[in-house]
Amino acid sequence: MSVPTAVVVASPRPRRAIRSETTRWLLAVPAAVVVLVAIVGPALAPYDPTRVIGPPGREPFGRYALGTDSAGLDVLSRVLVATRTNLLIALAVVLAATLVGLVLGAAIGMNESRRGPLGTLARAVNRFVDLFTAVPAVIVGLVAVAFFGGTVTVLVVVIAVVLAPIQVRLVRTEVLRVRGEAYLEAARMAGFSELRLTVRHVLPNSWGAVSENMPVIFGMAVVLTAALGFIGVGLPRPTPEWGSMISLGASDAATGRWWAAAFPALALIVTVAAASALGTALRARRA
Amino acid sequence: MKRWFARRRWWLLRVAALPVHLAVFALVVFFLVRAIPGDPVLTVTGGQIDPSRYEEVRTALGLGGTIWDQLGRYAANLARLDLGSSLLSGRTVLEEFASRLPATLELVTISLVLTLLVSTALGLLVLLRPRNVVSRVVSAYSRTAGGVPDFCLGVLFIFVFYASLQWAPAPLGRLDPGMTAPPAVTGFPLVDALAGGRPDAFVSMLAHLTLPVLVLVVAQSAIFVRLLAAALTDALDSQPTRFMIASGAGRRAVVWSILRRALPPMVTMAGVIYGYMLGGAVVLESLFGLGGIGQYAVDAVNSADLPALQGFLLVIAALTLVVFLVVDLVVMILDPRRRSGRTEVSA
Repeated sequence: MSVPTAVVVASPRPRRAIRSETTRWLLAVPAAVVVLVAIVGPALAPYDPTRVIGPPGREPFGRYALGTDSAGLDVLSRVLVATRTNLLIALAVVLAATLVGLVLGAAIGMNESRRGPLGTLARAVNRFVDLFTAVPAVIVGLVAVAFFGGTVTVLVVVIAVVLAPIQVRLVRTEVLRVRGEAYLEAARMAGFSELRLTVRHVLPNSWGAVSENMPVIFGMAVVLTAALGFIGVGLPRPTPEWGSMISLGASDAATGRWWAAAFPALALIVTVAAASALGTALRARRA
Repeated sequence: MKRWFARRRWWLLRVAALPVHLAVFALVVFFLVRAIPGDPVLTVTGGQIDPSRYEEVRTALGLGGTIWDQLGRYAANLARLDLGSSLLSGRTVLEEFASRLPATLELVTISLVLTLLVSTALGLLVLLRPRNVVSRVVSAYSRTAGGVPDFCLGVLFIFVFYASLQWAPAPLGRLDPGMTAPPAVTGFPLVDALAGGRPDAFVSMLAHLTLPVLVLVVAQSAIFVRLLAAALTDALDSQPTRFMIASGAGRRAVVWSILRRALPPMVTMAGVIYGYMLGGAVVLESLFGLGGIGQYAVDAVNSADLPALQGFLLVIAALTLVVFLVVDLVVMILDPRRRSGRTEVSA
């Protein structure tokens, strides 16, 4: 079982090295805009996002800035409110998945070459994590959310569990790299405990690669949340959420009324692209 | 005899790992179902159940007796390939999947083959003619890999090719309305249409498959071209290639040798993409009404059909594990260096 990590982990070096400081800051601008919308957006929403406020299928750029969907809900208000929901879920997923990644990845990396039961356990957990990545994330998410119910907590936990293996593998690779460094050997000879070695030396030196991958995980979490919403296992309707909005808008799009699906889809794509640009900026910092 | 085993140790170990992996997955699914909060019987029936039937449903869900009894029965049932019965239709879950899986496999396999062909051609173009206009567009698009989710592309394509241009048929099923489905022989819709002597149904099915296949190919090619370009660049920038060029080999021979050396990582990637496409198919089948196992699973969510969902997870897990086994074995044949008993070789 060898899923190439290149699929899920950001490429180690950008195609062209970004040298200028200004370019790096500019790359972070889209992400800042999206976060700003998530913070102030709901306050700017002109209507109640869960209430019918007008005739269904109204065109955008008229009385309703982004039109109304097939149920007569205001698309702009819903996109604005959904931005906060989707971003908060993805943010929680990134934090949870990275925490799991640090703990499990360090535990596996520090122990897997050991003899005895601890080493066997570490190798077994490692194999299990590898095995877990084999099943498509959407499918695990679909079944798990169906079992436990579509609430924010369940979504966060399920998506974090599905994406955590990526961070676990990344941390493990980093830990294995750091473990061979001379300063670690020196610290060990100075009589530091393994736990102290891990927390004081191994993890801080692994943090760079892990933090640079956080925007990638964020993007994947956003897409996965929306995919689950799209197939109807996410938050219950009419909670504003991009995936379920796109799904509702899909039948509209089939009759030529594109706006109910296009604007949440645009918000989703811009967010993923912003996260990706932020990731590039973070990687450029080290290059 | 001993030497025979020793020489084939890796192959035997890899094949023997499959049932172990399956068992681990089955165990995870078992505990996942038991972790459902509240009373699953009430969840499944929506709280409206005749008290006299309560025990019956509970047994049907495999929830009677102690946890060890349950585990024993679960293992025994799985060994007999008994995944239980769907609560909705009463048919066995295995039957439900057997009749629907071929349709999904058909969609995924056609998409995979097309993706491989298109991406290999584009990847080579990007490698050999990096300044070409097409190459620039392709490499720019491939850098967005995964940024435009397949369901967004699906809605976009429905709007453009069905609603606006009217080139594609309505995204409502596999056949034109009014057309009867050909009798199921193999279960693969396209094959059945040909075998049943129904060229009209065949053409109609192709027309209905075009958009979902296009979505999967466009969405997954981005990832595949990106990975392929990396693999090809690695093969290009290697000692054997330098040696070949230095010793005066022709351009054609060098390109072939690069392709040959990029083949093992390509096969691994194809396996990964197959998994992604299965996930994509689940989402797209509902959007286009194609009626494979993905749409069945989504419907099972809406009717809280627990045995069907549990079976869905097990079937998909088995399918992906078998695909990864095949991928690993093919890679071993292509690259003997990976056989030396090491479990991990960086791609």
